[in-house]
Amino acid sequence: MSFRHLDQFAQVSSPITALAPALRVLGTVVVALGAATLRLGAWPQLATLAGLVLVLAAVARIPLRTLLLRMLGPLVFVLFASVALLFLVPGEVVARVWWIDLTDNGLLRFGSALGRAFTALAAAVILVSTTTFPEIVQALRELRLPHAVTTALGLAYRFLYVIVDELERLQRAARSRNAGAGAAKRRRLLVSVVAAVLRRALVRSERTHRAMLARGFHGEIISLHRSRVDARSIMLLALLGLVVGAVTLSSYLAR
Amino acid sequence: MAHIPDGFLSAPVIAGTALASAGALAIAARRSRDSLGGQEAPLLGATTAFVFAAQMLNFPLGAGVSAHLLGSVLVATLVGPWAGMLVIFAVVLVQALLFQDGGVAALGANTLNLAVIGVGGGYAIYRWVLALVGVGPRRVISAAAVAAYVSALLVGLAAAVELALSHTLPFETAVLAIVGSHALVGFFEAALTGALLGLVYRTQPGLVANQVAPSGAERGWAYALAGVSLLVAVFAAYAASSRPDAFEAAIQRLGIEDTALTHLAGPFADYAAPIGGPWVAAALGVALVFALGWSLARFMAHVGRRT
Repeated sequence: MSFRHLDQFAQVSSPITALAPALRVLGTVVVALGAATLRLGAWPQLATLAGLVLVLAAVARIPLRTLLLRMLGPLVFVLFASVALLFLVPGEVVARVWWIDLTDNGLLRFGSALGRAFTALAAAVILVSTTTFPEIVQALRELRLPHAVTTALGLAYRFLYVIVDELERLQRAARSRNAGAGAAKRRRLLVSVVAAVLRRALVRSERTHRAMLARGFHGEIISLHRSRVDARSIMLLALLGLVVGAVTLSSYLAR
Repeated sequence: MAHIPDGFLSAPVIAGTALASAGALAIAARRSRDSLGGQEAPLLGATTAFVFAAQMLNFPLGAGVSAHLLGSVLVATLVGPWAGMLVIFAVVLVQALLFQDGGVAALGANTLNLAVIGVGGGYAIYRWVLALVGVGPRRVISAAAVAAYVSALLVGLAAAVELALSHTLPFETAVLAIVGSHALVGFFEAALTGALLGLVYRTQPGLVANQVAPSGAERGWAYALAGVSLLVAVFAAYAASSRPDAFEAAIQRLGIEDTALTHLAGPFADYAAPIGGPWVAAALGVALVFALGWSLARFMAHVGRRT
């Protein structure tokens, strides 16, 4: 198993990959927060932020088709979640589909949720496509996330391949023996497989800890990565913050 | 809606939940360092990877429906509540950043729901049940199953409150839609938590953390809390509103209230008992719910030990 396809644009030289990973993470948060806090019904501002993110994707040299394909899965989930808003939010009935009344407030919420989610999702996809997982962990470390969390994330990245491969091996072994025919038997089989993997993961963590101690581990993982935060990156992030902040603020001023 | 996407929460809710999550995680980071004593790095790494991998597996529930593990209570029973919060936060963070499952701006809310309330609330219920019934293999598994169910409800309730505070949905509708679905998924979460814990307990009981028998004071508090909860439940059932709830309101709005059919006459229709009036009906209702919940937990413990 590999997640290498996720960060396939991390090695592509672009103004985005030239930025420090910590600032790429912050930039994603800035865009997501800006879109999430826009006034309801501020369509021009929402379109501006969505356009800005698409420009950033082009700057990162991510083809539009790749960007949209990667967003498709999460967008479908958001669509399912937000469709309910169309008729669950009280308001004036503006249309009727079969026996369901669609309200004006419901349409407003639905459109806003979808537009904001599109913008934030596009920003997150740009981050993941241009930044490797170790770089993201290093960025989170530089952003002062709890040491235990960044260490756990760094080690989880290494454990994950082993654990998922183990899950697949156990499932393949069960399939090759025709085990788990029928929903009830398959459920029981999956529980046994997951429990076996859980047991092995915990035992492996003990072995890993002993191995780490033998190599001089004293509670802190030392990274060889140097921080790439420079004045130019900070200025670009500040510019992005200013633009997003101005667009968001204008949605409240232009009422 | 266990993971809230971006676009559903208002600015004050985003800010409030982010602050609350940051505070809770800072406490969890300090407390887990104390409780795990240096072994935290590989243990947290392995548990994070396990939860992440386990959430990729969908279990068939029948009728074309499937569900995956949430893992809040399972993790809390294995590594403790503080480390458990960090593990679930790490999973939520990776899911939001790498897989866009849950919003980046909604990360504070999702962390508060799944990591802080899911793990912390679930673990509090787990310890409470253990304090009431004592420690032993079956009891630990039953307590974890009950806690997993309540934890799923709490996660749903927290999400409903946040959506209502953001004016995305009316409170009653949000509770009905989200807590309702979590009340069903909770059974699966409880059964899976019980079964997984049962298998781990049977082969390597040392891996299940926090099996310290509750002290006398803890048991006293637990019984007092149980007594107060029962009184509140009886009073709440007695004082149940006669106004239509969200479901009844929806039926009225659709104009189909007259088409409702009664196939089985309830023994205490409209909270009226044949002897003793509404107080007896409320007390019997609470006792029945408790007995049903306990029987389910015992059944899950039995399944967990057999699997």
